[in-house]
Amino acid sequence: MRWVRAIVSLVLAATVFWGLDNRHGTFPAQGKLLNPFAGFWQNGSRSDAVPEKLVVPGLRDEVRVVWDARRVPHIFARNDHDLYLAQGYIAASLRLWQMEFQALYTAGRISEVVGPVGLKQDIFTRRFGLPWAAENTVRALRDHPKTREIVDAFTSGVNAYIRTLDRKDLPVEYKILDYRPEPWTDYKCALLLKAMSYSLASYNRDAIMTKARAALGEETLDRLFPFFPPLVPPVIPPETLLDFTPLPVPTRSGAERGRGNKDGESGHPADSRLSSTPSDAGGFESPGYRTGPGIGSNNWALSGKLTRDGFPILSNDMHLELSLPAIWYEVQLSAPGVNVRGVAFPAVPLAVAGYNEDVAWGFTNGTDDVLDWYDITFKDDSRTEYLYGGEWRKTTVREEKIKVRGGATVVDRVVFTHHGPVVRQKDEPPFINMNVPPDAALRWLAHDASNELLTLYALNRARNYADYVQALETWDCPAQNIVYADREGTIAIWHDGKFPLRWKGQGRYVLDGSDPADEWRGWIPHGQVPHVKNPERGFISSANQLPTGPDYPYYVGWDYASFERAARINEILAAARDVTPSDMVGMQADVLDIRARAILPRLLDSIKGKPATEAEKKSFEELRAWNFEARAALIAPTIFREFWNELNRLTWEDEKTRDMERMPWPASQVMVDQILNHPEGNFFDDAGTDGTVETLTDLAELAFRAAVANLEKRLGPWGDAWRWGKVKGTRLRHVARIPGFGREKLEADGVGHVIGAIDTVWAPSWRMVVELGPEVKAWGNYPGGQSGNPGSRFYDDFVDDWASGKSYELVFLRSADEPDPRIVGRTVMRGGK
Amino acid sequence: MTAVLMCLLAMLGLQLLTPYWWWVMIVPFAFGAAAARSGWKAFGTCFFAAGLLWLGTSLFLYLTGSGLIASRMASMFGLGKSWLMVVVTALIAAVAAGVSGYTGYVVRTLVKKPAK
Repeated sequence: MRWVRAIVSLVLAATVFWGLDNRHGTFPAQGKLLNPFAGFWQNGSRSDAVPEKLVVPGLRDEVRVVWDARRVPHIFARNDHDLYLAQGYIAASLRLWQMEFQALYTAGRISEVVGPVGLKQDIFTRRFGLPWAAENTVRALRDHPKTREIVDAFTSGVNAYIRTLDRKDLPVEYKILDYRPEPWTDYKCALLLKAMSYSLASYNRDAIMTKARAALGEETLDRLFPFFPPLVPPVIPPETLLDFTPLPVPTRSGAERGRGNKDGESGHPADSRLSSTPSDAGGFESPGYRTGPGIGSNNWALSGKLTRDGFPILSNDMHLELSLPAIWYEVQLSAPGVNVRGVAFPAVPLAVAGYNEDVAWGFTNGTDDVLDWYDITFKDDSRTEYLYGGEWRKTTVREEKIKVRGGATVVDRVVFTHHGPVVRQKDEPPFINMNVPPDAALRWLAHDASNELLTLYALNRARNYADYVQALETWDCPAQNIVYADREGTIAIWHDGKFPLRWKGQGRYVLDGSDPADEWRGWIPHGQVPHVKNPERGFISSANQLPTGPDYPYYVGWDYASFERAARINEILAAARDVTPSDMVGMQADVLDIRARAILPRLLDSIKGKPATEAEKKSFEELRAWNFEARAALIAPTIFREFWNELNRLTWEDEKTRDMERMPWPASQVMVDQILNHPEGNFFDDAGTDGTVETLTDLAELAFRAAVANLEKRLGPWGDAWRWGKVKGTRLRHVARIPGFGREKLEADGVGHVIGAIDTVWAPSWRMVVELGPEVKAWGNYPGGQSGNPGSRFYDDFVDDWASGKSYELVFLRSADEPDPRIVGRTVMRGGK
Repeated sequence: MTAVLMCLLAMLGLQLLTPYWWWVMIVPFAFGAAAARSGWKAFGTCFFAAGLLWLGTSLFLYLTGSGLIASRMASMFGLGKSWLMVVVTALIAAVAAGVSGYTGYVVRTLVKKPAK
């Protein structure tokens, strides 16, 4: 009896021990996590105290860090090495877990932390060649003495911080997921650069467009997806004269002969899933880094002749997927030869966007086509040989070993052709991340070695326009509209990046991997990328739209953002006089929907007198009285969006034929143009009805009814639940999707296609306005907070002000001794033994 | 009462010196095996000692800067109120320690019959 009791008791105690000491699925190890002496209880705001002195091994000289009230570090060093070492230390002290998690994510190693649930994502990441791309890039970083110095110093700084951490000091996410940080490396910096390229330069519709071409023909697609769409003002004003002699442009050879048939046969029925298919599985699903048309960023600059005080003003807001901890943190970096203030990625040295004492610069994404798929003809299913130029060439294989927590290591053999990796084989199911054509090789610019850090290094130190132009030479990917303004009064914008020389439209559809004529043939010389300096009109702007008009000699892409933000920015700036910085802060929160303004009167005209039900009548009145502003408190934006979607569905879906699973919808400007200029056009005719010819008037009525019915079904009866802010429900999810660690259901004005583009998960990730007077002044804000600790009040303290469009005047110090009432603490860092 | 205090102080010392949570099982096991007079006393003493230790410590931290992280943890676990994290923390330690103390006692009874 005693034995039985003892054994039962021992088994029970052992079970309790084991149960509390281990993770179960995604359920944390309770013993470790709840332990008040080392678990989550230690991650409170006590760690927010600013240390007065720090010993940081590796520093050559003293570094002084001045902290302002928004917890922005202003780092003053006596040499570059110490500056970036200190930046690494500080970045890690604010955001270590986020830095490492993003690096693991991009390395395809998330399964090591989260277990088998991360495997699909890791396989995709590796098939897509992100770790390979980072390996190529880290070599380039090491090859250049300057970037090598910076990245090595930054790495030492991060590691110096990691070494100070006891288990109780670890960021709380390590405790929840029960793992520990590993040493930082320069490779992880490179991974983060590639994560940005993936986020900004991988969006493509090649596969779905290829299917659409097979079904509808190229002529129809050229009408629906015009290379020079209506209503879109290009980034570079069309009257801009070329200041270079262009190279001869490649022409389309016989390469595309007879491709139509082949495309028709090539695929799995699920191919046509759009890449934007949301995955909402909860848990640790992919962050779904996708940037589609309509989502993007804004930047503009005004020359002094349009501003009240005669100084140029530069404005930038970069739209990215929101997260907590935020994607950016603010920092000032100062050493002999540099004094720069702006935002940085936690995992990468240098400031990315910002200003110094002479110039300011900012980004919007270029969204040019630097990613192509090549159909590969394999000799057989072993995929050891493929056809190229009439011969069989050998493939190579890269073995990807994916360690899985609590499971066996998975080995994935990725087949490479000289074009690049074969991401998905014919017999494999589609990925949720992207619409990947089967047995096609990926040629992606981001795979190539490049050294964008060198551009950032030079921009951080730029003194004038010549410095800026020279800095841009090493910026390859992701292509960006880099806006510039300086104290001398120059404003400029370069649509900068490395662009393959192509024939017009090359790469819009899946290319032939066996035909050498389908390859990229050289590059557009750097000095010949689209650019403009001090244009006549006195301002420059970009909003991810088409970079140039037809006068520009090269073809760089077709799938750009729609017209609304660009047109609205230009409309405001064209009428601007005596502009002040606060006008520009206000303009960043402008939510006028010019799409609605353009078409709604016309649509309402078509349905006048037709609303029948109570909800239809109220909706009609709401739209009629609307001032076209996408305000959170209004119902009209909700109705308009549904109305717009229904109208598009009714207009385009019936055009789909043969084996098309989905019809790619043309950009909004094409629809707007149809509504305003071709209301009797045949796209409005429902192909499903023989004999009757539908026009816009018929479709508008159907779409309106359907929209109201959808909303009633989804949101209940007409009322409070229909308010735009509630329907949109802006959310900042935690990077690892830990419930309770993000901000949900934020009600904010805006929608993706207005300037104040706060959408559900994509929104302005950093807003900045810089006035380049004798003393440079700037205002800014971002959705988040400086600290990555969810237990700190600095974790999300900017969010509410950001949501209401408020920006802060930024502290920018000329020296560590400069007094400022907003300074709250000082840290002195010294090297150790 | 003395036993509870001794147990508590032993755990407190070890927990301050090392990051391991399982002192709230090791110390009770040792106490149960070495000093407890009955199974139920072993359980009760250890339950209260560890429960009080984790309750007191977490409550102190809760009130001095860890309230926000507690509320985030509470919503992660689907608990409505942040103070419930204090309760859960104390209960986990108490139950683990109680079970362990009891086990220590019954293991000892295998070797040596309890003095009666």
